[in-house]
Amino acid sequence: MAQKISEKVSEILGKIKTCMGFQKKGNKVDSFKLITSPAVLFVLALFAGMLIVYFYNAMPAFNREGLSVYLKDVWRAVENPSEEYYGLASAIWGSIYTSMIAILVALPLSIAYSIFVVDYAPKRIKNTLIITSDVMAGLPTIIYGIWGAFVLVPFLKDYVMTPLHRYLSFIPIFSYPPITGFSYFSAGILLGIMVTPFASAIIREAYQMTPFAYREAAFSVGMTRYEATKVMLGYIKPAMFSGVILAFGRAIGETVAVSLVIGNTFNLSANLFAPGYTISSLIANQFGNAFIYSHMLPVLYAAGLALFFIGLLVNSAGLYLLRRWEKNVSI
Amino acid sequence: MSVSNFRKAKEKAFLIAVGITTLIAILPLFHIIATVLMNGLPPIVAKGPVFITGTLSEGGIGPAIVGTFMLTFLSSLIGLPIAFLVGVYAYEYPKSAIGRLTKALLQIMLEFPTILVGVFVMDIIAIPMGTYSAFAGAFALAIILMPYVAVYTHEAMRQIPFTYREASFGLGLTKFKAVFRVLVPVSKRGIMTGVLIGMAKVAGETAPLLFTTGGLYQSYPHSISQPVGAIPLLIYTLVQSPSASDHAMAWGASLVLLLIFLAVFIPIRRSLKEVKL
Repeated sequence: MAQKISEKVSEILGKIKTCMGFQKKGNKVDSFKLITSPAVLFVLALFAGMLIVYFYNAMPAFNREGLSVYLKDVWRAVENPSEEYYGLASAIWGSIYTSMIAILVALPLSIAYSIFVVDYAPKRIKNTLIITSDVMAGLPTIIYGIWGAFVLVPFLKDYVMTPLHRYLSFIPIFSYPPITGFSYFSAGILLGIMVTPFASAIIREAYQMTPFAYREAAFSVGMTRYEATKVMLGYIKPAMFSGVILAFGRAIGETVAVSLVIGNTFNLSANLFAPGYTISSLIANQFGNAFIYSHMLPVLYAAGLALFFIGLLVNSAGLYLLRRWEKNVSI
Repeated sequence: MSVSNFRKAKEKAFLIAVGITTLIAILPLFHIIATVLMNGLPPIVAKGPVFITGTLSEGGIGPAIVGTFMLTFLSSLIGLPIAFLVGVYAYEYPKSAIGRLTKALLQIMLEFPTILVGVFVMDIIAIPMGTYSAFAGAFALAIILMPYVAVYTHEAMRQIPFTYREASFGLGLTKFKAVFRVLVPVSKRGIMTGVLIGMAKVAGETAPLLFTTGGLYQSYPHSISQPVGAIPLLIYTLVQSPSASDHAMAWGASLVLLLIFLAVFIPIRRSLKEVKL
């Protein structure tokens, strides 16, 4: 009896193995696939699970408010559940706005850095510069956060925001009085500093790949170094573009450093010096007390879902463009 | 003549601008290190060894340090084997649909907003368990760690000359043996780099821990199913407190974190040509 059962079991197991492609012709199991596939399945399942968890938990918010959860700028967290209403527009705006400032800061810095490292730096300095940039990329973000909150924000407030506000407040984006210094502007600058090494790494690598013959040609027709560099930069434009997109993706996902300098206030405005919220800092700040309210939690999951899709879209677009460019160059 | 002078002047201006902008790009790092040292050293010196060993009420961050090491170790325990196998898979099947999907997914996970991982893990582990725990935090960190290790494993193995593959299959080895007995040992160094960089990275992560580990600073952790603290999480909490003495503690903790990070990162970085972060 026992033997019969074990025969049956092994027969079924064999069938399963054949179905899943673990077993090749004959009776030999492909132990490589047998071992690696579960790990791959686990990672794929993790990603799918993440999507499902966010979607499932955000559903009540969509049912209650529809798409206006993303489009309206209100945040009514009150005790009476029927009066609660939440809109994420200001957080989404804050995420995009600060990340835009960040790439505006990061782009010139990383281009200049790449030119300097590839063209002009002597070998010793070159190595030091590259290591410095890598350390900046890996530095724990909370250290940027504490430096941003205690050093960068007061500095920007005293030496940049106050003068700009005093003399240029007729320009709308400078019109908000910088009282605390915690603002979109501070967050954008800090993010810019943080994502510069990521953009630099991509742009530098691309710049290094420009064929030497082009450079020789440029100099042989009598171009100055400035003119030659301009031509070379035109050549790596697509890589610069994807570097910017990937830096934007990093900036939009950053949480703790931003939440320490942005001021965490619901605010939908283009005023650079106004405090605001980003999606990630909103989740970090509100998630802990969302359980007291009846309808807030699903809204935060909806915010997470939005961040999920923005992150997915931005990063895959950046990676796709970069791969395409690399392929074209290597041929 | 004047035209060429103008061009030369433009070149000069350009060179100076490039130099200055490069300096501005890397200046923040040195300023950060200097300010962390300046603000972090006094509280550590004032407290002495208690700062490293004591609990928060004694004026130390001991439990947070232990928590960070515990979380890093646990997350490696969970993440490394999986990530290693995934990297090997992506190397072996670069053309198959799943292989390509996996590779793309790993690249995306490398850039993914980390706060989303924290909330997700809270949902699947902390809520069913009914408590914050070291395990939940380590699991969240493992998800952050995996793409680093997998991408490095993949890249390291791709560097192996194709003839090594041919040779090992030519000996009649099965795919399993060829990969794990020949190709993996050859690329050991590259894989180890990925492991160390991933660990350096997760040791400094804050966002995935916000809703998973809870935090424990008044006593040392003793179980993985209980909440633990971590240095980055402690800094985040202390910075938000209004009291100046908490801020001093935060600077001290930042110095400890910075030193741990630099001690791990600089040696790896110096032994390599390039890294991917």
